[in-house]
Parts: sequence; structure tokens; C-alpha cells
Amino acid sequence: MNLFLSQITAIVWKDVVTELKTRELFSAMFIFALLVILIFIFSVNLSIVKASEVGPGILWVAFLFSGTLGLNRSFVMEKENGCLMGLMLVPADRTAIYFGKLISNFVFLTIMELFILPLFMIFFNIDLLEHLAPLLLVIFLGTLGFCALGTLLSSLASNLKTREIMLPILLYPILVPIIIGVVRMTGQILAGEPLSEMMNWIGLTASFDIIYIGVSIMTIDHILEE
Amino acid sequence: MSPDEVEDKEEESNIMVWLTGSALLAAMIGIFIYVPTERTEGVIQRIMYFHIPCAWLSFFAFFVVFICSILFLWKKDREWDIYAHASAEIGVVFCSLVLITGPIWARPIWGAWWVWDARLTSTLILWIIYVSYLMLRAQSDAGSMRARYAAVLGIVGFLDIPLIHFSVLWWRAFHPQPKVITSEGIGKGMDPSMLATLGLSLCAFTLLYFLLMGERVRQEQLKDEIDRLKREKLYSS
Repeated sequence: MNLFLSQITAIVWKDVVTELKTRELFSAMFIFALLVILIFIFSVNLSIVKASEVGPGILWVAFLFSGTLGLNRSFVMEKENGCLMGLMLVPADRTAIYFGKLISNFVFLTIMELFILPLFMIFFNIDLLEHLAPLLLVIFLGTLGFCALGTLLSSLASNLKTREIMLPILLYPILVPIIIGVVRMTGQILAGEPLSEMMNWIGLTASFDIIYIGVSIMTIDHILEE
Repeated sequence: MSPDEVEDKEEESNIMVWLTGSALLAAMIGIFIYVPTERTEGVIQRIMYFHIPCAWLSFFAFFVVFICSILFLWKKDREWDIYAHASAEIGVVFCSLVLITGPIWARPIWGAWWVWDARLTSTLILWIIYVSYLMLRAQSDAGSMRARYAAVLGIVGFLDIPLIHFSVLWWRAFHPQPKVITSEGIGKGMDPSMLATLGLSLCAFTLLYFLLMGERVRQEQLKDEIDRLKREKLYSS
């Protein structure tokens, strides 16, 4: 178990160091998320619709779109110079590679989201601070589910000829339950409802997370096989 | 395959063709001649006898994809890959038919081609998932990689169905309440003649599924056989 954990840490650390050196992924994700929010601000008339009604949807679309950039990068980066082959030659379980990638994707996306939240607060004039704790829980559950399925499908799509195109096509339809769930929950939280009012959504999102982490553990051996 | 085997299979599929053909004919007679017209909805309601069997067939086909995908990853046998592929194709065709017959029925009854009701939405998402499954198959070259990836997606996609169901159900619901199986028991909400026609139509469509499945699987097997022969005879000489 200790060995497994240190293997995962090594992979996460490798990704973090690479990112600190190149700084290409994080800035791209952040600017892209910002652009998505801007485009939505231009396309909906905020003087007619209430910001707290369209806000949650726009926020999550920005998260998901820029998260997809990160996912696309995470395995394509390994394909260059045969790094993925090197990773697979390491005497480690394939699930360690999956968890390492899952955690590094999750960390990058979460940091990006934490940077976007204050900007969202300013642009939409919504006070997030009074609902911060439940909001962070929803963001945690949503991002975890997105990364759990996204890491699996990104490892799969990276071997296809048209990888950048196929990943969103494969990923988004399956993500629908979690998208509906987190947008609903974020909307209810901003409206001031307590978490106990949305236990069904929390249960749905959490079961999505558990199901897809479980499926990934069971199937990753069949994807990373050469 | 030896010539005898081929002949046996052809005979089998002939029987299947006749059986399915007569079942479909009987279902047509039932739908257009035997069954009475519904009182409030009128003649358009007869589309139900196509709509429900198509929906049933596509769900059944996707379930077969799921089972075959698991069996493929377990046994690593090309047969299961062929079954999953064939079933996904048939499922997408019938799912498209559901999405086409639905709006035709909805327009005069609900007054709109499309409403974002729970079951419509989940059928549409299901259709997209399996179209992306077929796209994944088309994107990758034939071989073990394609089969493995498709199997993973077949499992991931099917496990999503209950989650989609609940999420869109809590999102909104307008669709008519289930009429065939209600809390009062099976078949209480409908006239017996309508129920009989629906049952007949369901049987005919299920037979059609197995017929199409058999044909498609045989096609794919023959394709494999041709590839093998090509490799053997063309490149060795």
C-alpha cells in the first residue's frame, strides 16, 4: 500500500514539476475559462436575465471546457517522446498511473477554479463568500467526477488519430448527469438554500464519482496495454 | 467455415426471415385493421405500436452491447466484439426511429415537436452516447485496440443510463405516465385489444432484432474470413 502511494505521488510530482517548468497548461486553461465566461456575458443580456440564474451554468461551462483542455494535454503530453511507454515499463500497477493522472488533473483544475471564482464574483455581482463552504463541496464533487471519467477517456482518446476531437464527443454525453447536478446545486446554493435541501443531487453526483472511479480501476488495464 | 456449415446457417436464417416476416405482417394487420382507434387521440395514437417497440428494442440492444463488452474484456474473444458492434448499430437505428416517431406523435397531441421532458432527453443523450461509440469504432483501425476501447466505452455508457434517468427525472417530467405497467397491475390502463396488438408488435420487433443481428454478425464474420484468406493467399505467393 505504501509502495502504491509513493508511486502515485511520484507521478503527480512529475506532472507538477513539468507544469512549473513549462507553465503552458495552467495559463491556457485559465485564459480559456475567462474567455468562455466573457463570451457568455456577451451572448446573454444581463440586464434582462438575473445573474444568479444564468451564472451557475456559465461558471460550469467554463470549468468543463477549460478542464477538457487539461485532460487532452494530460496523456498527449506523455505520448511525445514515448513517455507513456516509459511509464508503463515502470514496475507499477496500471491503476497507479490512473490515480496519478487523476490527481494531477484534479489539482490543476481545482487551482484554476479557485482563481476563476473571485472573477466570477466580480463579473456577476454575486456574493459567494456567504455560501463558500457548500459551494466548495459541490465544486469538489463535480470536479472529481469530471476528472475520474475524463482521465479514463483521455487515456483512451490519446491513442486515436483524431484525439482532440474525440475526447469531448465521448466525454460530454456521459457527463450529462453530473452537469445537470452541479448546475442545479450551485444555483440552489446561490439562492441561499441549505445543503440538506439537495441531498438527492449530492447522492447522484457522489455515486457518479464512485461508479466511474470503480469502472476506471477495473478497465484501465485494458486501455494502457501495448 | 465448411460448406456444410454455411448451408446450415443459410437454412437457419431462411426460417428466421419467414418467421420475422410473418410476425411483422401480423403486427401490421393488428395495428391498421384490428385495433380500434383511440377515443381522444385519434388515428395518430396508432404510432404507439411502432414507438414503444422501437424504444424497447434500442434499450435491449444497448443492454446487449453492455453484456458483450464485459464478456469481451473478460474472455478476449473476437466473437463478443462482433456481437457488441452489431448490436450497437441496430440500437442506434432503432433509437433514431424512436426520436423520429416521437415528435410525429407529440406534435398533434402536445402541440410541440419537442419538449424537454425526462424521457425524451434521456433517449436523446443515449442516442448521442451510442453514436459516439460507433464513431470511436470508425476512428480506430481494426484490431484488438479498437475492440478494447469500444468495450470500455460500451460499459461506461451503459452504466450512465440510471444516472441520466434520475438526473433528467429530477430536472423535469411531462411524459405520459406508464400505461402498460401501472401500480394497479399489468395492463389495467389499456383496452385488451390494444394490449394484444402492442404485445404482438413487441414480439415482431424482437424477432426483427435477432434477424438483423444474425445477418450483421454473419457479415462481419465473412469480412474477417476474407481478410484472413487475403493475408494467406495474396501475400504468401
